[in-house]
Amino acid sequence: MTNKSPVLLCTCGKQLKLDYDYLETEISKLDLAGSVTVHDFGCQDSGLETIAELIGESEARLVIAACTSQKIQPRIDQYLQSLGKDSSRIAYVNIREHSAWVHKDPSEASKKSLDMIRGALARVEDSKSIVSETKEIPNHVTVIGGGIAGVETALSLSNLGYRVTLMERESSIGGHVVQLPVIAPTGKSGKEIFSSRLKALENDKNIDVMTNTTVKFIEGEMGDFLAHYISPDDEDEKTLQTSAIVLATGFKEFKPTMIDEYHYGKNPDVVTQLELSRMLTEDRMVRPSDGKPVNEVVMVQCVGSRSEDYKRDCSKLCCTFAIDNSLEILERNPDANVQVVYMDIRVPFENEMIYKESRERGVDYIRGRISMVWENDNTTHVRIYDSLLNQYLETTPDLVVLSSAILPSDGVAELSETLGYALEEDGHVKDLYGKLRRTETRRRGVVAVGAITRPQFVFEAVTDAQAAALVLHNELHGGKIEKVARGAVLNVDDCVGCSLCAQQCPRGVPLMIEQTDAEEEDEAQKILFKAAIDTLNCHSCGVCQSLCPSGATQLNFLSNSQLWSEIEAVLEGADHEYPITVCFYCEECSVSTIDIVGTQRMEYPASSRLIPVPCAGRVSIIDILKAFEHGASTVMIAACEKDRCHIGGTGNEIAQVQIDVARDILNAIGWKGERVDMYRMFSAEPDRFTNAIREMVKRAQELGPTPVHKGTAGKWMEAVE
Amino acid sequence: MIIYPVEVILVVTGPVLVIGAGVAGMTAAVELADNDVKTILIDRKTTIGGNALELYKAFPTDDCFYCFEGNRWRPGIRKCFYRSAMIDQPNIDLKISTRVKGISGTPGTFLVNLEVGPQYVDPRKCTLCGLCTDASEAFHLVSPQCQPQAVSYNPERADDGAKKAEEDCPTGAINLSATQTEETITVSDIVIATGYHEMKPSTIDEYGYGKLPNVITQLELAQMLDPNGESSGALLRPSDGAQVKSVMMIQCVGSRDENYYPFCSKICCVFALKHASIISKERNNSRVSVVYMDIRTYDRHERYYRETRDAGVEFVRGRVSRVEAHKDGTLDVYVYDSLLNKYLKFVVDLLVLSSALEPPEASNELISSLGLNSASGYVGSADPLSENEVVAGDHVYACGGALGPAEVPESVNQARAVVSKILQGRK
Repeated sequence: MTNKSPVLLCTCGKQLKLDYDYLETEISKLDLAGSVTVHDFGCQDSGLETIAELIGESEARLVIAACTSQKIQPRIDQYLQSLGKDSSRIAYVNIREHSAWVHKDPSEASKKSLDMIRGALARVEDSKSIVSETKEIPNHVTVIGGGIAGVETALSLSNLGYRVTLMERESSIGGHVVQLPVIAPTGKSGKEIFSSRLKALENDKNIDVMTNTTVKFIEGEMGDFLAHYISPDDEDEKTLQTSAIVLATGFKEFKPTMIDEYHYGKNPDVVTQLELSRMLTEDRMVRPSDGKPVNEVVMVQCVGSRSEDYKRDCSKLCCTFAIDNSLEILERNPDANVQVVYMDIRVPFENEMIYKESRERGVDYIRGRISMVWENDNTTHVRIYDSLLNQYLETTPDLVVLSSAILPSDGVAELSETLGYALEEDGHVKDLYGKLRRTETRRRGVVAVGAITRPQFVFEAVTDAQAAALVLHNELHGGKIEKVARGAVLNVDDCVGCSLCAQQCPRGVPLMIEQTDAEEEDEAQKILFKAAIDTLNCHSCGVCQSLCPSGATQLNFLSNSQLWSEIEAVLEGADHEYPITVCFYCEECSVSTIDIVGTQRMEYPASSRLIPVPCAGRVSIIDILKAFEHGASTVMIAACEKDRCHIGGTGNEIAQVQIDVARDILNAIGWKGERVDMYRMFSAEPDRFTNAIREMVKRAQELGPTPVHKGTAGKWMEAVE
Repeated sequence: MIIYPVEVILVVTGPVLVIGAGVAGMTAAVELADNDVKTILIDRKTTIGGNALELYKAFPTDDCFYCFEGNRWRPGIRKCFYRSAMIDQPNIDLKISTRVKGISGTPGTFLVNLEVGPQYVDPRKCTLCGLCTDASEAFHLVSPQCQPQAVSYNPERADDGAKKAEEDCPTGAINLSATQTEETITVSDIVIATGYHEMKPSTIDEYGYGKLPNVITQLELAQMLDPNGESSGALLRPSDGAQVKSVMMIQCVGSRDENYYPFCSKICCVFALKHASIISKERNNSRVSVVYMDIRTYDRHERYYRETRDAGVEFVRGRVSRVEAHKDGTLDVYVYDSLLNKYLKFVVDLLVLSSALEPPEASNELISSLGLNSASGYVGSADPLSENEVVAGDHVYACGGALGPAEVPESVNQARAVVSKILQGRK
């Protein structure tokens, strides 16, 4: 057994301006360093062979100082895996983009590189091999909602080899789509579009359809959810074990009874667009008030949508809806006269051509608003303000149709209480990451498809459903999960039951489990609930670790002791003559930004020392204070942009809290809170990093040595007001 | 625990060809590869990433565009293009500088003839060490985000420095005498991810594009605003490099227009308002006005409309009738305002045209050689009644801009839907 690790120093084809003789000599002197190998091409075949040999020297421990790990690690991992070797204990130090390319003075860059290599040696010393683990879970998924999105997801999952239970609150399958008389761009009815799917559903032995079924709540986690539901057969609540949940409860149409000017709910001839769809589908195109034929129709767009009072955003579908229904009215009654009152007509892509067709067939578009609807002598009167003519028009239609806002269906908020997914301000289910992870929710194992997340056209809901089936398949692996268990590991004996991890995990992975045998213990010592973490469900951000008061949960690739010994080793050379700025950077947006700074050869002060963490949320108050204890003059955390946490949650916000507390502590002991700060990174704007690090280096110079350097640390100083 | 018996017949078929390596194509390739499907990913350029590489900030998240969801379980391969290690992933064979020359065979066993190269720089060997880019202007880095992470060579700028770089390249990655080769591959499925192209509106006389230097398109504006670009993100007039103080944007240039494209390009309003927001909030408070017919900020994109109005962006409903340039490059823009029913004259430094998004060249050939439906020149659904937008034919799929103008989240969703359908067909 040795605690020494070999070090590979890459010269990038002898193109890096670093003092390799100095590095080789100094590294050789370090207690934790084994052999030192200087190689010209770490990323090429000869380099890979050397790495494979070095891995054999010291229980797979190795420090590679080269270019960004983002570029070479995948290649090295794959090569070593092909040889059956363990690559999980390699630590990478970026001496190119983070050092040689950004500092003019080779001796300063070499010094910084040496410090960071010393840090990596300390981190790798205590590393563990991360191995692959397997677990079996039921190959069963529950879909809630039997509209087009739910049915398509169920069929897709069945095709991918899953058993599916499809729960629908209503008595039949089909949702809103089967009520639509005509759907752009095909011009077919909702029933026609649904028919082949209904047939497939009936013939699919892997799908259980349960109608009249209401889901009450769901507990558990991915792979082991328990859905509590009520079905019509008996009054009692029943449960179903399932591995994942698909939310597909669609939308509801806003009922504008509270908007006085439209008289909806008071005048039976004022209907919503969806009510008109039903009238057309059921072929009863007459005035609801007296059954007389409908010749004059006024449609009103943006009822409740784009309104500060009801729904701020656009409902997207209503313009196309209105045009579809206008054309259908004209199809059945060519003499009908349809007027559409609008603010902006919004018809994407080829729907524009249907808009054009409707104009050619005589649908009249009036840009403006309805100022009032009233009744006189059994006639409906409408006053319209035309903003193009700047005048008021009056008309007496047989039917007023309100294109009413599209809202999330009922029950979305209630289910989130136990399922833990996040909601948008408008009440729809919030996606995990708006750009790239649309169907996923904050909660692992719960996906959302169709209009429950946003208004969607039928084809979009179908795409959503197919995509979500793949996303779940990637998670569930057909029920046999085989994965590298890289993530948080909980030592349950150390858990004090505070539940901070369960509350703050961005993906809701830790569960609080009731301790049944706690009764036997002493009343004062008793912990009723303790956390449980399934490492295979963890996404490795480390938020739980930075919050855990007892060190019970720690990342198995970056334990507290690993990070603390790295901090200490990096700062070995810090003194009052060479003030050092430590930068903890996340391996999401921050590493990219700092790498791009290097690729662009932008310069920044060489007194910076960079320490990687998986997410800014991994950095705890103690980690920050450790850096000061070991001689850092200033500390910064580089994190992702606000509201842009890639894990879909709050990692960067947790980091902000840790910074704020660390600041308060520094202020309280008279060390000055400005010594620590957090900056948001964004790889399209690399100067965010260079500006940030310059600012922190400037503060280090201005604030001067800390009490550590002055030899007064640990002695209480009078707090400065 | 209950393990339900499920009847699964696994059909093993050949590799999948993904044509076009933008966000959609890359996502499709990575998801296929993750599911153990051999994938050949081709792109006609030396650097993949497509339109996204040049667009700076993405909506709806307002963060970088060069970002996609890489292999989720492999640490170190996550978000940025430059980190996606597309040449080092199992199951993906990335071919850059490659075009489809012809397709024959039958669904399930397509024979695809490819034109590959010339491959002047071996991306696996290039380390970006900087020796060649210092030695000759013929070598350059397309973008710091480029993928593969390798320099590109432009033979038109060949010089002695380039020859020397070829000799001195530490890894021997450069081969200036490389030639184009042809190869034929057999694939079971084809995924079309050829993206969209911004129309160059030089044929629309009234705007003066191509003649007046201070008239540009939205895509050109995106490159101007990019801090990694030539002006480091400063908004400067192309004519004289002076600070831009006033910008006018014109919507529906070539879109919703029977003479060019009758369809709505769908994302230009959001695209324009995103830029208007950046300019009015982050670039010296330049004045912005937008001339439009209908503002189409669908769904939550309405936020951009609200925010730009709040930031003082001026919206003029109407059309531009003519543009005249002063000697110093300043532009007089004559606009018919349909709300006021008046002609107005605006004096601006920069005129930005929200130009139609048109299908790329390759689209037509693929549609005709594979016998697909066309949706205004883009790839249409094989069976519109099914509402399966991504299924373009038997064993032929499409995703992203190939299906029509699309934003990143839609492209990614479509790519996943394609992979979902391919895997469903194989179980």
